[in-house]
Amino acid sequence: MSSLPSAPTKPPLWRDIRVLRWAFQLLVLALVIAFVYWLYGNYQTNVARSSIPTDLRFLDNPANFTMPGNDLDQSQPVRDAFVQGFYNTLRVSIVGILLTTVLGTLVGIARLSKNFMVRTFATAYVELIRNIPLLLLLTFMNLAVILQTFPRIENAWLPLNLFVISNRGIAIPWFTGSGGILLAVLASALVLTWIVVKIRGRVSDINGKPARGLTWGLPTFIVVMVAGWIVLGYDWVLPFVDDRATSGGLRLDPSFFALLVTLVVYTSSHVAEIVRGSIQAVVKGQSEAADALALSGGQKMRLVILPQAFRIAMPALGNQFLNLIKNSSLGATISYFELTQIAQITVGNGSPAVPAFTLTLLVYLMISLVTSVIVNIVNRRLALVER
Amino acid sequence: MSKDVFTDATIMSGGRTDDDAIVVMDNVYKRFKDFEALKGVNFKVGRKEVVVVIGPSGSGKSTLIRCINRLEEHDDGRIIVDGTELTTDIRNIQEIRRETGMVFQNFNLFPHLSIMSNVAIGPRQVRRMPKSEAEALAMELLTRVKIPEQAEKYPAQLSGGQQQRVAIARALAMKPKVMLFDEPTSALDPEMINEVLDVIKELANEGMTMVVVTHEMGFAREVADRVVFMAEGEIVEVGTPKDIFDNPQEERTKKFLSQIL
Amino acid sequence: MIWMKRNLFRSVGDSLLTVVFGSVAVYVLWGVLQFVFVTGRWDIIQVNLKLLLVGRFPEELLWLVSGSIMALAFWVSAAATSSQSTKEARPGFGRRIWEAFQRFGLLAATGLLLIAVSGDRASLVMGAMILGSIILGQLVGFARRTLSPLNALPGWIWHPLLAVAPIVLVALTLSQASLDLWGGFLINFYIAIISIVLSFPFGILLALGRKSTLPIVRLISTTYIELIRGAPLFVLLLLAGVALEFFVPSSMAPGQIARAVTVFTLFTAAYVAEIVRGGLQSIPAGQTEAGKALGLNTTKITTLVTLPQALRNVIPAQIGQFISLFKDTTLAGVALNVLDLLNVGTAITAQDDFLGQGLIYETLAFVALLFWVGSYVMSRESQRIEKKLGVGQR
Repeated sequence: MSSLPSAPTKPPLWRDIRVLRWAFQLLVLALVIAFVYWLYGNYQTNVARSSIPTDLRFLDNPANFTMPGNDLDQSQPVRDAFVQGFYNTLRVSIVGILLTTVLGTLVGIARLSKNFMVRTFATAYVELIRNIPLLLLLTFMNLAVILQTFPRIENAWLPLNLFVISNRGIAIPWFTGSGGILLAVLASALVLTWIVVKIRGRVSDINGKPARGLTWGLPTFIVVMVAGWIVLGYDWVLPFVDDRATSGGLRLDPSFFALLVTLVVYTSSHVAEIVRGSIQAVVKGQSEAADALALSGGQKMRLVILPQAFRIAMPALGNQFLNLIKNSSLGATISYFELTQIAQITVGNGSPAVPAFTLTLLVYLMISLVTSVIVNIVNRRLALVER
Repeated sequence: MSKDVFTDATIMSGGRTDDDAIVVMDNVYKRFKDFEALKGVNFKVGRKEVVVVIGPSGSGKSTLIRCINRLEEHDDGRIIVDGTELTTDIRNIQEIRRETGMVFQNFNLFPHLSIMSNVAIGPRQVRRMPKSEAEALAMELLTRVKIPEQAEKYPAQLSGGQQQRVAIARALAMKPKVMLFDEPTSALDPEMINEVLDVIKELANEGMTMVVVTHEMGFAREVADRVVFMAEGEIVEVGTPKDIFDNPQEERTKKFLSQIL
Repeated sequence: MIWMKRNLFRSVGDSLLTVVFGSVAVYVLWGVLQFVFVTGRWDIIQVNLKLLLVGRFPEELLWLVSGSIMALAFWVSAAATSSQSTKEARPGFGRRIWEAFQRFGLLAATGLLLIAVSGDRASLVMGAMILGSIILGQLVGFARRTLSPLNALPGWIWHPLLAVAPIVLVALTLSQASLDLWGGFLINFYIAIISIVLSFPFGILLALGRKSTLPIVRLISTTYIELIRGAPLFVLLLLAGVALEFFVPSSMAPGQIARAVTVFTLFTAAYVAEIVRGGLQSIPAGQTEAGKALGLNTTKITTLVTLPQALRNVIPAQIGQFISLFKDTTLAGVALNVLDLLNVGTAITAQDDFLGQGLIYETLAFVALLFWVGSYVMSRESQRIEKKLGVGQR
């Protein structure tokens, strides 16, 4: 009978798999560090030669430019300009994301419509927009539509007497009076409506009659808003042309409008495809089960298909939102004063390029990370609800 | 708690096995995060011996044979295959993998290569055999598992039973000293199980050393020199097929067999 | 009639939708047709066609471009025809013509349009010669399959042999005409193709790195990928426009196109990495285990088993990435002043002859057409490939 061989021999270092793994990693790390160091070295020599500052002190320098439509004094530091640019980026991104979701979902559903005309229309829209570059669309909106098609202020279009459309922008009816009061009323209206809908839900659970959340909720909302109007006295104001400008209402400056419309149209075509794909991915059996339960078409969509489709679509949708935010940087090509445009202008006015653009990149990174985190949270909540 | 599997074998199988053990596992432990898959396992396999390992799921039978060719890394104890010890020495690991062949439950054929290439890839890449020689060897093995005509086809075009036979040929192409089978028929439709078991039986009759993890008790009875029953990470009972199936001693063995047979 | 009722007029609401969308569609179509055939002034395109297509490429060397296109057309058609298996059932001649029409009709129509717009005989000749090279390619491929001496030639001799002509011509084109003079649609293609080719190996390495079990390697790869994916391409281009020269020794002052290619390559590599990583993740773990059990080392397993499968699985996604890249090359026009198609399109409206006449619609329509046809044809081919790959598995 054999016996066990003597105690195990320790493998020589150069054959030990653990040593090899770490040696390889350290080698890779060393290569990367060496490369980065080389880049940095080049940077230092080149910059020293051209005597350009490399820190962030330029943020304190006066901006030396104004942004029409935003109130920024010429003498205010560059830092404030950046903040304003950041704010503008957020503005166009958030509104854009909201509008895109709505439009994209509608078009996506339309792609699956049984009506031939609607289906073809939606398909044509998606196929047309998806295949052309975003910049082309933006240039078209800007140069062709706004600068050429939109009339000059003297001949402004006045659809329904509610809007004023000219090449200076679009003016929509808006509220006067304190914005704060309006928000407060809006918030309380929403809260009350939500409470009413919840109560109706509970009542319906108890006595079995339909909740009719909409029929109760909508009037509640309207009642609160109107009450607020009467009591607190904020008001709508219709814009009108006054000499060579518009007065009253909210004026959306042309580049904001162009950028917003372009981003929404472009991104919604991608969103439409995602929505369509995810609706089709909801297993056919679900649809059949819903039919077997005699749910109506609308109920089936609302209660069975869309919730599941939404869960499937969420990661891809999050991606599109990120794309929209990043694409907003193209606003710089049409003089919309978002973050990238600010960076470009200040660099043109003498701020050092590398720190300025690096700062810009970092801000975008931060926005992307925050958005990703939010999307992940939504994703996880949707998944949790499953199990 | 585990029995010394080897002593029993020499006594019970009447000298069929050789003296030297080709696989030795000494007090082997394997932990996964919070779960101990192998608890102090002592296990030996003699040359030309066929050992069948049975047991409930989660008992550690797959972990046992996957430790032998380092698909799992054991945490404690020693494993020695044909005189070479399994340590973090990369040379040892590669050598042991060359000398052991494994057949998986899910076949794991390479879908982008033809059957011929699947069988020849081992000898060509690892043993550095020239292409023509490797392909001749492959054809010989494919004939042995009775599907030479499928050589130019792709795995997706074959049935499960055929794929598994190709997997056996692929493992044999490396001319291993020990063949490890990890539930080779569990993923097959019933009508194809026998064609694969026949091939394995033939291999056993030709004297190949084998460790087979399986649920096919009829096969075990026919072919095994020894049957090992594992539960909860330990070897509970060992014996000839006759001993284990007809006269189990331990409670857990009895319980398991009553559920299966 | 039944079809109309079911698809257009199911219910009152449905009919209303049909009427509304129908009228909008008619209105739009009518407007477009009017624009294209009646009111549009296309002479701006006609005059500037060369500028739009190839930028300031030297006149006398233009034959290199046409030659390259012809050689490429020949190569693609010959390679495709010669590798078709004769064993497969070949559909009838009529059907094959119809299929070819569906696949390439759009391209052919666009080609004809370009010839018509240019209005000179030379482009007609060029068009005919391109068609001729395609047909020649088909004949050569057919000969390879049937005629005996060519039949015996092994694949690894035949295909490189075919590729000789296009490679030589393309190399000549690259070397003879200074890159700074390239422009128009040509430069969009150029930047896209070079960038995707260069980004490939880098992207694969990043993907392998991100999936690696070695923590430092994984950290470096993940950091790079996430940093790039969070950054807008436009800003990266702007940064490269003003700052790239700071990071390289002063002897290597990069030109505009080189900067563009650098940024696009680094950018695309991160996205390619994510695509390849997805592919790698879809490979079942058993594949690597089988490789290990056979005694293959990690490098061999990656190069022979996992990577080939992963790359084949993600071909459609890769093509999608290329199409995105192709469209994004327009950004190089604004950020780096590269004279790409879009840039030329907007610039020519400022020419003396055409200034202030609102011709931006015509130029942008032309630019949109070219990009749209390119994108659309490529995505359709990608869908075809996807379907073919799907059929291969059981």
